[in-house]
Amino acid sequence: METRSTQLLKGTLDMCLLATIAQRPCYGYELVQQLAQQGLDLVSEGSIYPLLSRLQQHGYIEGYLVASRDGPSRKYYRLLPAGTKQLERWQAEWEAFARAVERILKGAHSDAKS
Amino acid sequence: MQKADRQTQQQIADLVRACASYWELRGIAREHITEMQLELEQHLQQAASDGKSLEAVLGPHPAAFAEAWAREMRPRVLRGGARVLRGLVYALSVVSTSALLSQLLAHSPAFTFTLFAAYLLACSGLLALLLQLSGFLAPRISTRSGREALLLAGIVLAVLLLRLAGVTVNWSRALLTWSWPVTIVLLVLAAVLFSLDSWHTFHKARATLTFAGFPALRTVTVFVASVGVFDLLLFAGSVAVIDFCRLALRLM
Repeated sequence: METRSTQLLKGTLDMCLLATIAQRPCYGYELVQQLAQQGLDLVSEGSIYPLLSRLQQHGYIEGYLVASRDGPSRKYYRLLPAGTKQLERWQAEWEAFARAVERILKGAHSDAKS
Repeated sequence: MQKADRQTQQQIADLVRACASYWELRGIAREHITEMQLELEQHLQQAASDGKSLEAVLGPHPAAFAEAWAREMRPRVLRGGARVLRGLVYALSVVSTSALLSQLLAHSPAFTFTLFAAYLLACSGLLALLLQLSGFLAPRISTRSGREALLLAGIVLAVLLLRLAGVTVNWSRALLTWSWPVTIVLLVLAAVLFSLDSWHTFHKARATLTFAGFPALRTVTVFVASVGVFDLLLFAGSVAVIDFCRLALRLM
């Protein structure tokens, strides 16, 4: 059975990816590492790729190949203007949602105390 | 960063090839498949070097991962059909050349397409497809020979089950019989369709910047050689099966 954190991550992974790419262009494995550094461990790392493709199809990010000295080119992703706007919208949505959940949890906590 | 061992490299290669075959069947554009393959392979290599399992990247069901990614890539049914068409061109080439050879060798005015030949063609097509997709089992069965043995065991089990269920087949039963003109028409049709497919693949390859080059001569040689080998197999198999059926009838 999936843990709650896995379910929460599933619903917010596209937003997290967009926010990570907004900081600087990244390639797939780098994105997974950045998320892990922030404490978000993915159940299957490959699940980022369908989402990256979706973000690309929506025009929020774009992929580009960077030549490498050691081997074949690597695909990096960078944010596009439409992605910046979408990230702002998602961020506002998330903050409102998180505030509401927090209020409920705090309310439940104070009810339990009294 | 350490390099993954040989067996893991093989698992990665098989897994990536299985994904690519699946995406091709789903009708994703060739240039996208090339990029997806590259990304996936690099990710798997880096993960393996960091000591992660293949399952950590693709989850317990690699086929589900391949499908999830395919859904986001705007697949087109028609594009996937091109691969099926290639299989049909191959089958047509085998049938037409085996008809030509058997009519020439036996000085016969007609060719009979038996149930055995149809079965052999269908099973070979299915087996070729399953072998390409068997890479999906790579995270669980690490060696290629292990995966092939599992496939073979599955086929043998299916045949045994059919036999146990009482299904008996007259392998030498004639499905179709045709004369010289039809054989010639089929040969010409196979040659035209193969040329069209090769021309299409060549132009696609030229349009893809990441494609190193299209080995046209090698493709034609491999195709002709494999059709020849298949013809031999079909001929030897038919003779053996028909002789076996005759012997079985005599013994009964």
